Amino acid sequence: MSIPRLSDYKDVVGRDVVGELYTLASHVGNRSIKMVNSTAVGGGVAEMLHRVVPLLNELGIETRWEVIKGGADFFDVTKAFHNALQGKEEYFEQEVFKTYLAYNEMNYQEMSFDEDLIVIHDPQPAALIKWQKKRKNKWVWRCHIDMSHPNQQVWDFLRPYVELYDAAIFSSPLFSPQLKIPQYRFYPAIDPLADKNRELDEDYIDSVLQKYEIPRDKPIVTQISRYDPWKDPVGVIKAFKMAQRHVDCRLLMVGDKAADDPEAEEILTQVKEAAGDDPDIKIIFLTHSIPTEINAFQRASDIVLQKSIREGFALTVSEALWKYRPVIGGAVGGIPAQIIHGYTGMLVHSAEGASLQIRSLLQQSELAKRLGENGHQRVKDEFLITKLLKRYLLLLLALDHPGKSTVLLD
Amino acid sequence: MRVFQFCSSASLEKLTGRKAHNLDELLELVKTCSSSSIFYHTFSAFRKLREVQTPYTNDFAVWIARDLNEEALAEKLLAIDLAEYNTIESLRARILQILEDYRSENPPLFERTAAEPFYLYSLVRFVYLTDKFAYNLSSFRQLLDTISTDSIYYHFIESRLQTQLQTDDFSNWMQENPDYQELAEKIRKIDMNIHTLEELRVRIGETIDKYL
Repeated sequence: MSIPRLSDYKDVVGRDVVGELYTLASHVGNRSIKMVNSTAVGGGVAEMLHRVVPLLNELGIETRWEVIKGGADFFDVTKAFHNALQGKEEYFEQEVFKTYLAYNEMNYQEMSFDEDLIVIHDPQPAALIKWQKKRKNKWVWRCHIDMSHPNQQVWDFLRPYVELYDAAIFSSPLFSPQLKIPQYRFYPAIDPLADKNRELDEDYIDSVLQKYEIPRDKPIVTQISRYDPWKDPVGVIKAFKMAQRHVDCRLLMVGDKAADDPEAEEILTQVKEAAGDDPDIKIIFLTHSIPTEINAFQRASDIVLQKSIREGFALTVSEALWKYRPVIGGAVGGIPAQIIHGYTGMLVHSAEGASLQIRSLLQQSELAKRLGENGHQRVKDEFLITKLLKRYLLLLLALDHPGKSTVLLD
Repeated sequence: MRVFQFCSSASLEKLTGRKAHNLDELLELVKTCSSSSIFYHTFSAFRKLREVQTPYTNDFAVWIARDLNEEALAEKLLAIDLAEYNTIESLRARILQILEDYRSENPPLFERTAAEPFYLYSLVRFVYLTDKFAYNLSSFRQLLDTISTDSIYYHFIESRLQTQLQTDDFSNWMQENPDYQELAEKIRKIDMNIHTLEELRVRIGETIDKYL
């Protein structure tokens, strides 16, 4: 499939939504953006930039994307910073900070920053701004990680650089630390035309289920998530087994494991033990998931679960809601932003709660349908890539009018 | 009849770093926050909550119902009809009055800690002209099907904060023509609290069709 163009989105989000983007872009005028991050492939940020950059260019916003360079020593440091900023306790020697700054300075010297807006993604290149002494353009730091409980040593080091920016962007107030600069909220977004979300033929969905030997003779309840204790896969099985006493259904657990996660095998063993020899529980362990197959699993499901007990933003919820699936989600992290309980899905706090909701939704098809429809609308309003494009256009306009709460554009 | 140029509005959400853990703290936030924060948690929230058919008209009610299980207070707040408010300050005063009245009846309740805090937002709001012009009722009707839901929201709901009128822009414009007095009255009576924006589009269109 060729790379979608902005006009291709008219059919999925509506002609008026795309038209609105062009209208806003005309108010923005000839502007330029540079996105900077630390990796061209892998991870949600790179995936998102691959889509956002060409689409912003289509809107007439000249947008470039550069990836900073670094040796293994730099990326060891930034990985440790990443974990520390998400709350991991660790003490760092001064050498570590020197390595971080040396690579940031080297990258700064090799790059140019002439665009109207420089968007620096995540902590790896956050200190680039240190060497930009005089600037006419605006610099914004986009933080994609949960910084609500940062390791104080790393944060004390990084914070002075972050506060040199004109603004910071976080995905949720839950993830943001106190800062002296303005903070904007950008929700993460899914691409409705990506392989993981686009429409699929029923025949293809059938073939995927056949491939994994999943009969479609009963309603399917699915959780697609890494085998990780925070996703509570054992709790999902417990909830399913309780529900199974009242409704005939199948459970589909699909997941991979983080490459650097030695606990995954152990969790998988626990999951298999909890499942026992129940023929209605299918556990799939993928080393490399195929996006269209994940899409097919979601579309074949009668209910999608994301029963996390600790979570980042969990865009898997939006992926399922976009496909009109009723979703049962743990009331943690970014899930309540996507699920308004009882209207765009169901929030739960325990395996018992999840079990009740499985029973309820499998036996009340009208309610399940309504949740799916409202959930789809919620994603359309807030969590699609077209909304992200709009936020970037509005950011350009907002930075032109610092301190103003209402701006009338001519 | 003057030419009607369609406008639209859009908002960029800002984090304020302020939050409330109980109703006393919420009361303090409502008293002291910027008008753009009140706008965000009422008008802007209404636009989103209405689209997914919740009964809630504002974020305060959502939080009070969900995180404090205080349905009676949530109901009082969700009964606020935004159509009756053409200034943010009058709306803020109404919310404060509801909270303070409730506190005088249930003082201990206001100290109870919520399951999750209420996060105060603010926003930067942009109002802008589109390239769509209606020269008469017929061209207005044609354009109605093509404008964005943001534009419908702006003219039917939000613009009263700009015009300081207790009416929407569409009926206000139609009223300029002596032949459309009755039509304007019917448009004005369409209940924005009941319909989603797409349903509003349909209802307004159907009402106009009877006069073309």
